[in-house]
Amino acid sequence: MTAVAAPVAATAPRERERRRWAPLLWLAPPMLVVLGFFCYPLALVVRQSLVSESGEVGLAVWRHVVTSPEFTAALGRTVLLSVGATAGCVLLGTFLALVLAFTPFPGARVVSRVVDAVLAFPSFLIALSFTFLYGSAGVLNAALGGGAGGPVDFLYGPWGVLLAEVTFYTPFVMRPVLAAFAQVPSAQLDVAASLGARPWRVLRQVVLPEAWPALASGTCLTLLMTMNEFGIVLFVGAKDVITLPMLVHTKGIVTFDYPAACVVAVVNVVLSVALYTVHRWVFRVLGTNRAGEGRAGAGLDPA
Amino acid sequence: MTAPAVELRGVSVHFGRTVALRELDLVVGRGEALALLGPSGSGKSTALKAVAGFVRPHSGRVLLSGVDVTDAPPHRRGLGVVVQNYALFPHMRVADNVAFGLRARRMPRREVEQRVTEVLAMVGMADYRRRYPRELSGGQQQRVAIARALAIRPPVLLLDEPLSALDAALREEMLAELLRLRRELPDTAMVYVTHDQGEALALADRVAVMRDARLVEVGPTAQLYHRPRAEFTASFLGAANLLPVELVAAAPEGSDGSDGTVRADGLATVRLAGAELRAEPTGPLPAGTPVALGVRPHRVEVRADAGLPARLLGVQWRGTGFRLELELDDGSRLRADVSTVDGLPAVGERVGVSIPDGCPLVPAGAGA
Amino acid sequence: MLVWTRRSRLLLWLAFGVLFGVVIAAPLAMVGLAAVAGTWNGVLPAEYTTGHLADAVSGDALASALVSVQTGLIASLAAVVCGAWAALAARSAPAPVRRVVDTVLHLPVAVPSVVVGLSLLVAFSQPPFLLNGTRWIVLVAHLVIVLPFGYGVVSAALDRADPVLADVAASLGASPARVLLRVRLPLLLPALSAAASLALALSMGEVGATIMLYPPDWRTLPVSVFAQTDRGEVFLASASTAVLLGLTLVGLLTLGAARGRAAER
Repeated sequence: MTAVAAPVAATAPRERERRRWAPLLWLAPPMLVVLGFFCYPLALVVRQSLVSESGEVGLAVWRHVVTSPEFTAALGRTVLLSVGATAGCVLLGTFLALVLAFTPFPGARVVSRVVDAVLAFPSFLIALSFTFLYGSAGVLNAALGGGAGGPVDFLYGPWGVLLAEVTFYTPFVMRPVLAAFAQVPSAQLDVAASLGARPWRVLRQVVLPEAWPALASGTCLTLLMTMNEFGIVLFVGAKDVITLPMLVHTKGIVTFDYPAACVVAVVNVVLSVALYTVHRWVFRVLGTNRAGEGRAGAGLDPA
Repeated sequence: MTAPAVELRGVSVHFGRTVALRELDLVVGRGEALALLGPSGSGKSTALKAVAGFVRPHSGRVLLSGVDVTDAPPHRRGLGVVVQNYALFPHMRVADNVAFGLRARRMPRREVEQRVTEVLAMVGMADYRRRYPRELSGGQQQRVAIARALAIRPPVLLLDEPLSALDAALREEMLAELLRLRRELPDTAMVYVTHDQGEALALADRVAVMRDARLVEVGPTAQLYHRPRAEFTASFLGAANLLPVELVAAAPEGSDGSDGTVRADGLATVRLAGAELRAEPTGPLPAGTPVALGVRPHRVEVRADAGLPARLLGVQWRGTGFRLELELDDGSRLRADVSTVDGLPAVGERVGVSIPDGCPLVPAGAGA
Repeated sequence: MLVWTRRSRLLLWLAFGVLFGVVIAAPLAMVGLAAVAGTWNGVLPAEYTTGHLADAVSGDALASALVSVQTGLIASLAAVVCGAWAALAARSAPAPVRRVVDTVLHLPVAVPSVVVGLSLLVAFSQPPFLLNGTRWIVLVAHLVIVLPFGYGVVSAALDRADPVLADVAASLGASPARVLLRVRLPLLLPALSAAASLALALSMGEVGATIMLYPPDWRTLPVSVFAQTDRGEVFLASASTAVLLGLTLVGLLTLGAARGRAAER
């Protein structure tokens, strides 16, 4: 015993030292990638926003940009669009997920696959297809007999962008909500009905409370993604729909006003990181709560 | 004459191409306890779900107190249902779980309060009103599930394998509890789905044995146990040995097609491994069909010296006694439960087996 | 079951069909239809042609498609390697370090792609790090954007993985390197493939950062599609998008097949 233990004891201090530092050393390469290509450039953006084109350091650029009407308009539009689109996605996504999960029909699986597929699509695809559906020479106008320049003319405005975002991001709400619905044992719905509860009561009192964490975190994520959406806005190309990312793009590579672009970028990042923090918090706090319940219930579940 | 609490008329349930229940006819009287007994996949749970309205019968009718409810959704049937894993609502406290059905009926708050207190006391859970389901043990969750079902004062309580998620000791305790509830609620009919014959025997007035989506046999519990008419019933209810025998002298009084002696005591004579025994046909035995003798392990006697010659294949100690695996000279195997193995030869050696007269004689089917 | 009567179920399905059809299915169908439309003035195209698709796989469009495929493959491979590396290394790091790593690696999700593009422009437009104007800056941008997904998927898989397996392997005398190569990584294969799928799909469809950064010789397909749309060549744009979706699908199916094989073992 001692014969084996002795050499271990002799190398122990150095070994312990190595144990402590090895994981950190292993972490260095991937962290260098993130720090070098993400954190460092982002820090430079913040610095750039504080330096005017003439080289003065200060809040001059900030003052100028933040008070400009185009910025306030873009900010307001971004918030309105993302809140509106998210509301639409959550309502529509919850309804569609409810039907898919609790009143499945032949072909429901195919629909689920389509929903999954949308997640792998680029968002500009929707904007492009909207041109054919609702554009001035689109299907809807043709169907309404207008020909070119028909009666439907909302595409090249905020409503077009809003509807496109609802179309694209609804699947992003549906997936977590469907997963949450799948966690509700069908026996609970059966028992609730046997106790005399009508479908509406079962939905409100049994199903939705279970899906609430998924809905909350899905809502945050959708708010975040719609706020940062660029492809749809770019492709719809509506003159009066300038969002924050669009403004960064314009300032950055159309007018080459880097300091102003950086100010807008910083505002955009702060907003979306705040939303992201809320999302992570909701996910962690409500998610673990539920997971605890799930584990407690799983003990009884033979499946 | 009042209508039975539950009546199923030719109910079939299909899930896609599989038939989960085939033409079930069943009646549950008022205040009666009926056990639906069978192995998994026998259709017993499906039958219960058809009564509760969770599945829609492909054909046939479901009647509750004489009213056809085949097309009524579960929330209009007013039955109490307790499912296997209780399905307590995890986000509601115990009291809210129990009050759920009462609130769905828009009962005034004060009455809800009273009723909840009453049923929780009935199942011994009065001190747990404020708890969440996840803070309860399996047995406590079970009690809450029963209280929730009873709160709406249903004329029929449906229980789907209510004890299967509990460990052995707790199961005994809950069984006693259910028996107590039976006594306290004599007017509430109970339909109890189980695969455990012990539960069925302890709780039910009548047992319906099911297999492969069909009803095999239904009758009063004692009759099914002592005089099963089907081979499957004999083996499933009481785990009888089924020994293929030869009918020597058939037919007690009343049965036709007899070509042998009718014995005064209604017993037929059969030959098992060369020896003759007297057995009791529990139903008509059409001439020429193979028959089997149902012998319960505890009725088999094993001695070193006398009886049918057999070989001892193995011995298991079961605490209260021993289970012996035996092989008769005709190759058929049987199990025997004995209290002692003193004086018996060692495993692999020969012993004598004796089987009492009056064991049930049933048509030998496709095997149990 | 939530709805019990046949009538309300039918009503519900009708509502589902209308909403799903109008809001989600119809737009998806449009691009496919437009890709093969010859002329389209009515409700449905008057005639069909494969000409746009042929255009979309020749000349500039083909070059763009190849650029997109290369970008997607390189970025997703780098993201999976980097993400899996970080996830595995973070496991054995002290808890506070792990939390920091987790936050930093997830953070790019919360930053708009346009801002990622802008930040790279700001950082790498002058020496000593002059990447602007080269294809590398596009690749770096794609890597930054898909990295959180590579890390996230692998990290989640590690959370679910059974730590006992690695312990058992170590107890049998396997060195840490051997445990990693023969036990932990093989078990992670499905997650690695899922991470690669996600990264590939995202990279193939990326516009925000790319449009800020692309040099003339490294124009990805989405950027070309935008150029085509801008010029009014909407049918060619649809055909190019169809090609993009087709290429993405081939990649995802290949990775899916690999995942299926890994899961079978």
